[in-house]
Amino acid sequence: MNELIPLMVIVPLMAALLISAFSKFNTVTKIFAFVVAICLPIIPLLSNYGFHYFGGYEPILDSAVNMMYHPAITYSFTFLQQIFIGAVGLLTFLVIFIYLTKYRKVSGPYLFLLFLGTAAVTAMLLTDDIFHMFVFFEILALAQVGIVAASSIDYSYEMALKYMVLGSIGSPMMLLGIGFLLALTGSVNVTDIAAAVHNGLVDATSPVFLLSLALIFFGWLYASGLPPFHTIKSGIYSKAEPHGAALLQSFTVISMISIVLVMFRIYASLPIFEVLIVFFSILAMILGVSLALTQTDFRRMIGFLAVGELGFIGLGIGLGTNFSITAGLFQALNEIVITALLFIGFGAIVNATNEVDTRKLGGLLAYHPKVAIMLLIGGLAMAGVPPLSGFQSKLMLVQASLSCGFPEISILAIMVSIATFVVFVKTYYTMFLKPKPNDLELEGKEVPKAMIFAMGVLLIIVILLGIFPDVVTNGISNFVGGIL
Amino acid sequence: MKLYDQIFNVVKQFRKLFSPGPVTNADVSGSLTAEIFLIVSLVLTAILLRHVNVLLAGIFTLVLAIVLIYSIPLIPKFKIEQEDSLEKMLFYAIITLALIGIFMYWGGNLV
Amino acid sequence: MAQVQLVILLTSVALVVIGFYSAIFIDNIIKKIIGISFIEEGVNLFIVAIGYKAGGVVPILMPGMDTSWFASNAAYPLPFGLVLTSIVIGASTLAVMLALVMVLYRRYGTLSTKVMLADTSKREEYDE
Repeated sequence: MNELIPLMVIVPLMAALLISAFSKFNTVTKIFAFVVAICLPIIPLLSNYGFHYFGGYEPILDSAVNMMYHPAITYSFTFLQQIFIGAVGLLTFLVIFIYLTKYRKVSGPYLFLLFLGTAAVTAMLLTDDIFHMFVFFEILALAQVGIVAASSIDYSYEMALKYMVLGSIGSPMMLLGIGFLLALTGSVNVTDIAAAVHNGLVDATSPVFLLSLALIFFGWLYASGLPPFHTIKSGIYSKAEPHGAALLQSFTVISMISIVLVMFRIYASLPIFEVLIVFFSILAMILGVSLALTQTDFRRMIGFLAVGELGFIGLGIGLGTNFSITAGLFQALNEIVITALLFIGFGAIVNATNEVDTRKLGGLLAYHPKVAIMLLIGGLAMAGVPPLSGFQSKLMLVQASLSCGFPEISILAIMVSIATFVVFVKTYYTMFLKPKPNDLELEGKEVPKAMIFAMGVLLIIVILLGIFPDVVTNGISNFVGGIL
Repeated sequence: MKLYDQIFNVVKQFRKLFSPGPVTNADVSGSLTAEIFLIVSLVLTAILLRHVNVLLAGIFTLVLAIVLIYSIPLIPKFKIEQEDSLEKMLFYAIITLALIGIFMYWGGNLV
Repeated sequence: MAQVQLVILLTSVALVVIGFYSAIFIDNIIKKIIGISFIEEGVNLFIVAIGYKAGGVVPILMPGMDTSWFASNAAYPLPFGLVLTSIVIGASTLAVMLALVMVLYRRYGTLSTKVMLADTSKREEYDE
């Protein structure tokens, strides 16, 4: 049933529009949002693999040069898309569930933003058309800004405006790179561009082609929050509501991998491409973790850790072998789940204490033992402790960099994992284990049940992926074999 | 003893990092860890230059290590450059864009 | 006629450079946003220039036109379609930015970037 492929984008998009139009009717909106949110992870599971050509324009074979042309916007749906759309759909469901149970009167525009973001990342993953991807990338940026600005945290408007201003530098540069590619090849379809590059129709050493890589790469840095955009990315995580931040980081991870896979298909023949990705990934790892160590606001700390973990994904893709790319994509999946778990868990603490400064917290283990234990396991998974899922992907990355002949990168990856662990243990100690400060009021404040439910679901995924990584890695490895 | 005094001064300087507010022992040890992590990881990354030239890598790594160790505390300097003001973010973004562009246009084929 | 394309390209370069200048050096946030939107307009102009064809015709196949003549003389329509989408996105981004500036102006009473968008972490009061 390939008709389901466009529905993955259309359902959240239509739901977003309908909810914002009919948000006056509170109960109907709630029920409708809940039903659509349940559908989101189910549609990709039911759909068959295949292509969808919008408008029905099938690819044309040019018999003179024996090349295929894709006149339509093409959506391709494979195992990789299935697993990531399923993951982000599940996360959207959990976030919307938390939101609906938290407030009696829901805000239509906020639900609109959540669904719009999900639709945008789904389209970015599915599409085979680089301009289509850019359009949804811009829509995603607007949705992210909206989610940040809608939160009630201090200075969220300032952070949203900073993100937009930086975005208006980053995304036109990406568009300029796409314009260069369009000028060189006359097409915006990634398969066509890649075929033109590989068949020698485009001079891969020409400065224009190299400059298009530089510009799209800069846009990718903005999309994924690698340096120099790591401060703003961690900033918007810390200024969003906790469940919103959990969704925002999944948007970041998915836009990162969808853009980098497109770049990989076009530019993989250039050695400089891999050097650039590895350089910025290492920078992200070092800066992210070392800045996370010095934070006192624990939301900001998780934000910097999330940026540092993004470096692992980039590292896997930058090394450029089948095994390393599989490891990087598996790490991406793990990061979506684990970081969401941490954001929701620490968000539950904010909910119960109204405090974000680690120096004013303490002794929470006695009051919120369930949250404490689930957060501990999540933190261990992020640091890469066996048998959790973070361990499997990080082990694969270390092996991949060893077999590529870069033992330094392996050592660095292990060191970053250890430093991540230090960050987590330090924060965990100051929040949960150290004696409770006298002026901290804790009586009568409960953690919402929906948050504990969401954490439980994510925790089960973390443990299952840690014990049975082959379920995912085999499929991803097949996909990577197809694009190499 | 000179290095010990220097590290002791570093710990004193961390107070400014956490102002306003008190400085706890967990924060200071975290910052010290960050300091050591930063030095070690940057030196380790410099070793990657050996894929370009072994002699260059050796000299560069040694010089970097000495410069970094003698310029502790690094973390306050790092943190000031990566604060949340739009001025600094825009400046670094545009500098990075310029560097990537120049590097790719003239040096993209050298690797 | 090839000079037309060259002039368009030079104009787009000038717009992008003005945008970068204003992004770094102008303090007033409204002027900064106007300048930054120049970058986007410059890029749009560049993409329009890609589709330019000296002496070309509008890419609409009218009844009675010879198809092969049309194929060799029509301008390339894809960039125009793309730019249309890009302009719409740029306008919505601009609207959201200006709306945020309005809210912040009411709060701070100034349009200076140095005041409005400085480092917020130092400003948070530690109440003790």
